[in-house]
Amino acid sequence: MAEKLTPEVHAAYERIHDSEEFTQLRSNYLRFVVPMTVGFMLWYLLYVVCSNWAPGLMGTQVFGTINVALLFGLLQFVTTFGIAWVYARYSARAMDPIAAGLLEDFEREVGR
Amino acid sequence: MSTTHAAVAVALVSLATLGIGAFGLRVSRTTSDFYVASRSVSPSLNSSAIGGEYLSAASFLGVAGLVLTSGPDVLWYPIGWTAGYLLLLVLVAAPLRRSGAYTIPDFAQVRLQSVAVRRAATLLVVGVGWLYLMPQFQGAGLTLRTVSGSPGWVGMVLVAGIVVVNVVAGGMRSITFVQAFQYWLKLTALLVPAVFLLRAWALDGAPSPVAPDAWFAPWSTNDAQGLYTTYSVLVATFLGTMGLPHVVVRFYTNPDGHAARRTTLIVLALIGGFYLLPTVYGVLGRVYASDLVAAGRADTVVLELPARVLGGGLGDVLSALVTAGAFAAFLSTSSGLTMAIAGVVGQSLASGPLAGRLSPISSLRLAAAGCVLVPLGLALAAEPIPVATSVTFAFALAASTFCPLLVLGIWWRGLTAPGALAGMAGGGLAALLATVLALSDRPGGWTGTLVGQPALWTVPLGFGLMVGVSLLTRSRVPTTVARTMVRLHTPERVDVQR
Repeated sequence: MAEKLTPEVHAAYERIHDSEEFTQLRSNYLRFVVPMTVGFMLWYLLYVVCSNWAPGLMGTQVFGTINVALLFGLLQFVTTFGIAWVYARYSARAMDPIAAGLLEDFEREVGR
Repeated sequence: MSTTHAAVAVALVSLATLGIGAFGLRVSRTTSDFYVASRSVSPSLNSSAIGGEYLSAASFLGVAGLVLTSGPDVLWYPIGWTAGYLLLLVLVAAPLRRSGAYTIPDFAQVRLQSVAVRRAATLLVVGVGWLYLMPQFQGAGLTLRTVSGSPGWVGMVLVAGIVVVNVVAGGMRSITFVQAFQYWLKLTALLVPAVFLLRAWALDGAPSPVAPDAWFAPWSTNDAQGLYTTYSVLVATFLGTMGLPHVVVRFYTNPDGHAARRTTLIVLALIGGFYLLPTVYGVLGRVYASDLVAAGRADTVVLELPARVLGGGLGDVLSALVTAGAFAAFLSTSSGLTMAIAGVVGQSLASGPLAGRLSPISSLRLAAAGCVLVPLGLALAAEPIPVATSVTFAFALAASTFCPLLVLGIWWRGLTAPGALAGMAGGGLAALLATVLALSDRPGGWTGTLVGQPALWTVPLGFGLMVGVSLLTRSRVPTTVARTMVRLHTPERVDVQR
């Protein structure tokens, strides 16, 4: 996949990489992803930890044969989906516009 | 259950698979069609296809078997499989699509400008794929034996044969249609019988599951080894999903990064919803089919419940439906995997030893046939182990190698080719060695636990080596890194530049 690049295109790439917007794009991303990933991991580990050290709580019957452990497990699916949804919205709002701007710069610079 | 019903069900699924594949063939013409369906698959079709491909024998039979054996707290297996998609979405989906590569080895070469890394990644795609194909074939053998009494090899050879025909005939484009169809077939095949089973259970006076106390109590295995196993499965499923070749290749078939995100969102809903059903079968299995656990056939609970609970004509028809769904599971996952492996191997063949003598499409076809034979042989030779357990070896290998390669490659500009090679070799060899030991020697005690679920130590090993060696070889950071980074993180409308 090694393609030939004209010096102008190469320079454009280098300039964009060093630009404030590109740094902003990456930091916006990290600002969302790092806390979210850590939070989700903790929420997920909480399930394992509770099962391990609070079996009484997890074994509590809510109704019929449905206990807290089962509800907790099902909630994990719901939150997984919820986070994905929030992420899709966040990237459409905070990342896509910056990225589109960078692309315009690039196109202007290499003259297409 | 009657053999006739089962035979009809299996025949119908096989014919539908081949038929839809043939329809895809009519629209598959170019090389890009074959490898990535010309990157023009819409999110709704693509997410059904991903769901179809992802829900394998392990999901269809294995989760119910696990719940039957160990109780509802094994829900963390399917949760891990679902959450793995979330990490894939957040960390790699859109950038990977933007890299403009067809496969993980392509990505490795674009990012690191190294043919050696490309070769190592190719080998690993084959390794992960084979480890994942083997349980699919074993599941097929088990299913056909359960419903019709035929010897185990019949189901394995049948599935392998259909998969090869399909990939050889139509490539990625036709596989996409087949997969999407099979997701909905699998959902129907578990949902409809589940409704009848729950009704019968309610009419029965809703009896409670009969099981030892440990089954009801969450985490009966709360010793250090049990805890290690849990965390290890968690790491493997979380981080391994992004490295499964058949999962990753699907993101190349999206038209753009935005579509890749939307696809993932729909996939999460589809697979999360699906996983509720095997849980129902596992719990009802404790009411009506506890004997399967002692017989070592917990994986067959989904197949046996309709006949046991409902019996008669209805039981036969529903059993046939479940069998059809199970076959759809084997066929779709195996097709996706074979396609992914063949895509990578075919590309190497066409550019390497067979350059000029064979067209890219012929190479893909040749590779598909060759790639199925080895896991088929393994499946025939190896002793059956619970299917949900055996796929975690493939997850562990992917998590120890491709996860660091993708995450560091996309988000850390300091990654170098020697670093990537060291990480893939170290993490990969450790995970493979553990798998071989666990499957052949079956050691007990802590050794057995450590090799039985290796991810918790092999993933840090892979990451550590990759970062460490990269830092030692700083001068080898590719000169193209700035361009690659911009390309990975900005949207792609300039076709010529990728």
